[in-house]
Amino acid sequence: MLYIKCPFCGMRSQNEFAYGGDASVKRPELNKEISNNEWDDFVYNRKSLRGKHIELWHHVSGCRQWFKVQRDTATHEIFKTAKMDEQI
Amino acid sequence: MSQAYRIKDKGYINRKKLINFKFNGKNYTGFEGDTLASALLANGIHLIGRSFKYHRPRGFFAAGVDEPNAKLQVLLNGHSEPNVNATEIELVEGISATSQNCWPSVKFDIGAINNLLNKFFPAGFYYKTFMWPKSFWYRIYEPFIRKAAGLGVASIEKDKERYEHKFEYCDLLVTGSGPAGLSSAYAAAKSGAKVILAEDKHRFGGSLLTDDVSIDNLSGKDWADKIISELKEMPNVTIKNRSQVFGYYDHNMLVMFERVGDHLEKKSKFTPRQRLWYIRCKEVILSTGSIERPIVFGNNDTPGVMLASGAKEYMKVYGVLVGTKPLIFTNNDSAYETAIEFKNNGVDPLVIDSREEQNSELVNEAKNKGIKIKFNHAVIKANGYKKVNSALIGELNENKSEYKNTNIVECDCICVSGFWTPSVHLASQSGNKLKFKKEIDAFIPDKSKQNEVTVGAANGDFTLGSTLNAGFKAGTAASKKINNKEIDIQVPNVNEKNHKAHDKFWCSPLPKNIKAKRFVDFQNDVSVTDIEIALREGYRSIEHVKRYTTLGMATDQGRTSNLNGLQLVSNIENKIVPEVGHTTFRPPFTPVTIGTIVGREVGKHFMPTRLTPMHEWHEKNNAIFVDAGAWKRPRYYKIGNETMLEAAKREAKNVREKVGICDVTTLGKIDVKGPDAAEFLNRVYTNAWMKLPVGKARYGVMLREDGMVMDDGTTTRISENHYHMTTTTAQAANVLSHLEYYLQIVWPDLNVNVVSTTEQWAGAALAGPKSREVLAKLFPNIDVSNETLPFMGYKEADLFGVPAKIFRISFSGELAYEINVQSDHGMFMWEKMMEIGKEFGIQPYGTEALSTLRIEMGHVAGPELDGRTIPYDVSLDGMVSKKKDFIGKRSLTKSAFTQSDRQKIVGLIPTDRKTSIPEGSHLVEDKNAKLPNPKLGHVSSSCWSVENNNPFSLAILKNGKNMIGKKLFAVSPLKNKSIEVEVISSHYVDHEGKRVRS
Amino acid sequence: MQKYSVFSLIKNAFSDHMNWEVAWKDPTPKKEYDVIIIGGGGHGLATAYYLAKEHKITNVAIIEKGWIGGGNVGRNTTIIRSNFMFDANGRFNEFGMDLWRNLSQELNFNVMFSPRGIINLAHSDAQMNAYARRGNSMRLNGIDAVLLGREEVKKHIPMADFSDDVRFPIFGGLMQPSAGTARHDAVAWGYARQADSMGVDIIQHCEVEGFNVSNGKITGVRTSKGEIKAKKVGLCVAGSTNILAEKLNMTLPIETHCLQACVSEPVKPLLDGVVTFGAGHFYISQSDKGEMVMGGDLDGYNSYAQRGNLPTIQHVLTGGLALFPFLSRLKMLRTWGGIMDMSMDGSPIIDKTHIDGLYLNCGWCYGGFKSTPVSGWTFAHTIAQDKPHELNSELSLNRFSTGYLLDEKGIGTKTWIG
Repeated sequence: MLYIKCPFCGMRSQNEFAYGGDASVKRPELNKEISNNEWDDFVYNRKSLRGKHIELWHHVSGCRQWFKVQRDTATHEIFKTAKMDEQI
Repeated sequence: MSQAYRIKDKGYINRKKLINFKFNGKNYTGFEGDTLASALLANGIHLIGRSFKYHRPRGFFAAGVDEPNAKLQVLLNGHSEPNVNATEIELVEGISATSQNCWPSVKFDIGAINNLLNKFFPAGFYYKTFMWPKSFWYRIYEPFIRKAAGLGVASIEKDKERYEHKFEYCDLLVTGSGPAGLSSAYAAAKSGAKVILAEDKHRFGGSLLTDDVSIDNLSGKDWADKIISELKEMPNVTIKNRSQVFGYYDHNMLVMFERVGDHLEKKSKFTPRQRLWYIRCKEVILSTGSIERPIVFGNNDTPGVMLASGAKEYMKVYGVLVGTKPLIFTNNDSAYETAIEFKNNGVDPLVIDSREEQNSELVNEAKNKGIKIKFNHAVIKANGYKKVNSALIGELNENKSEYKNTNIVECDCICVSGFWTPSVHLASQSGNKLKFKKEIDAFIPDKSKQNEVTVGAANGDFTLGSTLNAGFKAGTAASKKINNKEIDIQVPNVNEKNHKAHDKFWCSPLPKNIKAKRFVDFQNDVSVTDIEIALREGYRSIEHVKRYTTLGMATDQGRTSNLNGLQLVSNIENKIVPEVGHTTFRPPFTPVTIGTIVGREVGKHFMPTRLTPMHEWHEKNNAIFVDAGAWKRPRYYKIGNETMLEAAKREAKNVREKVGICDVTTLGKIDVKGPDAAEFLNRVYTNAWMKLPVGKARYGVMLREDGMVMDDGTTTRISENHYHMTTTTAQAANVLSHLEYYLQIVWPDLNVNVVSTTEQWAGAALAGPKSREVLAKLFPNIDVSNETLPFMGYKEADLFGVPAKIFRISFSGELAYEINVQSDHGMFMWEKMMEIGKEFGIQPYGTEALSTLRIEMGHVAGPELDGRTIPYDVSLDGMVSKKKDFIGKRSLTKSAFTQSDRQKIVGLIPTDRKTSIPEGSHLVEDKNAKLPNPKLGHVSSSCWSVENNNPFSLAILKNGKNMIGKKLFAVSPLKNKSIEVEVISSHYVDHEGKRVRS
Repeated sequence: MQKYSVFSLIKNAFSDHMNWEVAWKDPTPKKEYDVIIIGGGGHGLATAYYLAKEHKITNVAIIEKGWIGGGNVGRNTTIIRSNFMFDANGRFNEFGMDLWRNLSQELNFNVMFSPRGIINLAHSDAQMNAYARRGNSMRLNGIDAVLLGREEVKKHIPMADFSDDVRFPIFGGLMQPSAGTARHDAVAWGYARQADSMGVDIIQHCEVEGFNVSNGKITGVRTSKGEIKAKKVGLCVAGSTNILAEKLNMTLPIETHCLQACVSEPVKPLLDGVVTFGAGHFYISQSDKGEMVMGGDLDGYNSYAQRGNLPTIQHVLTGGLALFPFLSRLKMLRTWGGIMDMSMDGSPIIDKTHIDGLYLNCGWCYGGFKSTPVSGWTFAHTIAQDKPHELNSELSLNRFSTGYLLDEKGIGTKTWIG
């Protein structure tokens, strides 16, 4: 079971959290003209990196904050977690 | 005589307490402190079961978790359990055990015919045959094979025992209480670290219980007892026996199961049988010891052939002789301890040593005691069917490939030792890649991937002195890492005999004229020949060998066979063992009861049950409930002998004609607050929200980014910056996470907060033409007229002293209100509404009537919003703003979504106006067309229209409204039905929506 | 090639099994192939076999970074079915069922396909209706399906919990009687043996390091055993799809996740077919050896580790006990994990790509095993003819841009929520 440091609450077991996918995917701005490809890259296409992966987690059974986790997808090692407005 | 093989005054069992048990129907006795295995051996029982494939007689091979053969069906506390390892289960009064996989009995087993035909059943034989005629595999061959396989019989009784979970945190977990574990736990505990020490067996001490050593002038066992009692006194130490750490998972989470109840004679109702421990620790010391490796020889599976360490343990711990004419077959020194122990107990062993003449301390001691030893010899094969009665031995030639001479020696057991294999399972599970240590011809842990270190025999260190040294060091190092304390611990003086190197001899060659099977994996009946065949046929990767022969895949997971298998493969392939590599170790280390893994979430506790504050009232009034996620909702309220359909019709009709009341507490409720709340809603919902005035509600639809409808509901502006959002029952949690995602990640600049208030409010819908009259009486102090509280209006008012919120919204399509009060007052509200509504003919209605009402109104719900429909598909075109952007809008331009004949919602009535259309039917033009019959759409929701008194359905149909007036067939081949239907509008009742506004 | 039969078995028994031929050879790669299939799993091996058999293209190499059959074909729960709602999925897999029914004979290798049936249990009327929709769709596509009521379910699985002490009672279920199981390893080995005998080179322990593309056309692959030229290259690498896509500068609608499964100790036959629990994530069947083979949910976060964590297993087995309380006393023997190529609508992709001569086979989610024969058959066709077969025409890569999605579950793009 993963042990994840919520930037707001501290170390907590994985079962308090929900996963949110690749954090590098950025939603296109509202009302912006974009190509179909750009939109599909946002909705569907994923790099799904092997190795260091920055991803979203949601502390659903805790403070209900979304935050970023840098984790190795091959070993599950977690290097860093950060609030949404912080850099990893 | 009972317990004829018990040695006088030996062992750590309690001879004062006699225990009765049964094996294969016969009564036996043993002592407290016995395992089932030691008690049976004390009674001279060796034949314990039959092998999986050839049904060969099998006996005890080991004394612990490494036992491959002794799996019994055990009846205890009224429950029968298959595959119980007799070497692990403690003897308690009343155990009844039977042999598995044999018929009619273990002594005479018909299945043994397989053994005679074994020539025709080589590795992988089933891949090569049973193919003709085609249908015979499933009908004839396979059922036969299935019956033959399978070891024990699973009881289908419900398990009445209790299983618990525990979550524990510690600084250091030590797995195993042998010398390595004790010393490291002791060192770390002395410095104050919070330590958990886990021991699988019920006695602490591991190899100290059986090895001939002394520490600080104490015997190994006494020293272990002393350390354990000191550890028990320390408040920072938890020591657990009967506790197996079986899994090493990510981020130093280890999992252990504790056998709590089975050995107790009397236990309280609340004593669990087993307990699962999730242990999160900062550091781990793996002191799991090692397992003795067998030497492979002919008929080495005959009962009476046993690991030398097992024989020694039975003598030393249990005071049981496994034979009176023992042969010790070894390639190393350690088996000499077994020989000496036999001799000390008045039994003369013969040692067969594959090595040339040795002069180590231990060998010399054996010689001095007059033990006969044959060096340069090997056991070629065991003789005897149900028990060893002699052995063919031979003198080895120079390169140990053939024999100079052979002869037969009588014996009643063969104790075999092929040196030691470190138990590296947990280290491997942690991600540690193993490395091959040449000196011991086995794998040991390499670089740590997590905070773990392996100490002692598990690390390939087989001497006590250096193990203790390493243990104290590892304990000190761990505690230093944890609390930066370093204490000085005096490493005790150790007295042990030094050992000479082992011989790389693990498989006795068979002379040409000798036919005998040489087993590598006992439980799965994998022999040397099988491995040779696999390699010959090109299954050369070790994983291929394993899968093709099933080597190491039995319930003992190859603990005594993996390394010998690897060695054989590398010999044949002319490689060294590390080149062949090893198969992966996976949890659990030993099999774990599924009940333990699940814990307390059984029966009704599978999932929490959510009840509304009015639940008791519903129960009292004959509500039949339906599961809505975790919620229980009244489906209908049964009067007399009504069927569900009759009740639903009555309830729905009452709403259409008079007034009904429905518990809507389960709807998701979210408070949306902040100066940017309107802007936020405007982005979340497909329709416009900027101009909603305070005190007004609006219906909204929200999409996923892929354009599919995610949820719908009404949101009310309570005050300037405060909105009350409702969601469907099913999507409540998802919608909240969705909103938080956008607020926290995508638009953090918006000043809005959301919080779930679902549990805070009890809700009741009041619906029907007379609902306003009821409302007026409920709230006599406010004006509830259509002018002051119009459709989509909102008011706060006082309900006989209880603050209430009144929303004029409708799902039924009638004039309707939803009233919310704080949950505590839910029952008060409900009863008040029933009381006041009585004169107007109020009746409660459940979800069936609710469905009827919404379906005939053409309101969409779950079956239509199935995650595959966009707003245009379900007649929500008017809800989609053309002017503003919102979540998912960009997807709506996809070509599939704008295609003109896309499947869209319509209404259906049967042309006979009588036959109900089953939900899940599909619409076709020709009901008799040949398959595949092209489908035009499907029936999503059906009801009996109470308004028009005939069946009515909603359907998602190709070309949607353009099909109105057409006749099609709704077919349900599953129900053997095809019904001619007419396509009509999805708004079957009041399509102008007058009633809700009345 | 040696023919396997009871007679060859007896004959070889008398020569002490010394005369069996190798099932496949261990060749060194040639300089150039007509087609290279990357990935020696079930789908890759089947593709090579059908290229040779159906399209007479035999100058083919399978390149496998480990040992053949070591990926998901060797670590799945062996369920074979075609109980899909969407026409594209249903017809595709029903064609596959026909291939399964003859596979042992065709490959002269007993893959032990057993049509023991699969029952998807329903625990509410709403679920029964959803199953009816799927079952009726199957029937209209010519696929067998039966809707079972509670009592009929009880006849099939009397040891399920039909007592009052349940959170979600069984309402009924949807059964596909012709569904079943097969011996997973045998499928890989059977295809490998036949492909090898027709001239396909099976090259193990050879990792693809890069691709050679010139003027928008594939010309070969760079591997740990050197550069190999190829006119056409087919990608069949399941959980490694994203890794190879990165080398091709492609971003796909695929995410990689870990799925665990577990088996109990073997017990005498109790459960004949496959059963899925409808109120949680759990499915179960009993192997010929007697082990209960169980699985359920993904671990729930991107992962390339073939190891999972216990909470998922606990969650899955909790569903198992809710359905079959007798499992409580059985012991879990082994758990393992596999790496799944989760597509964004839960359905696979078999298609050409924007690179000429490069073909894609991926997105199998947790259901790749059942499609092994038909995936190989259609992928071979797609490669040989340079265009999809009608059966896989809807399993296109561009359906995500056009919107013609095949979302069987209606859960959208959050692939990690089963």
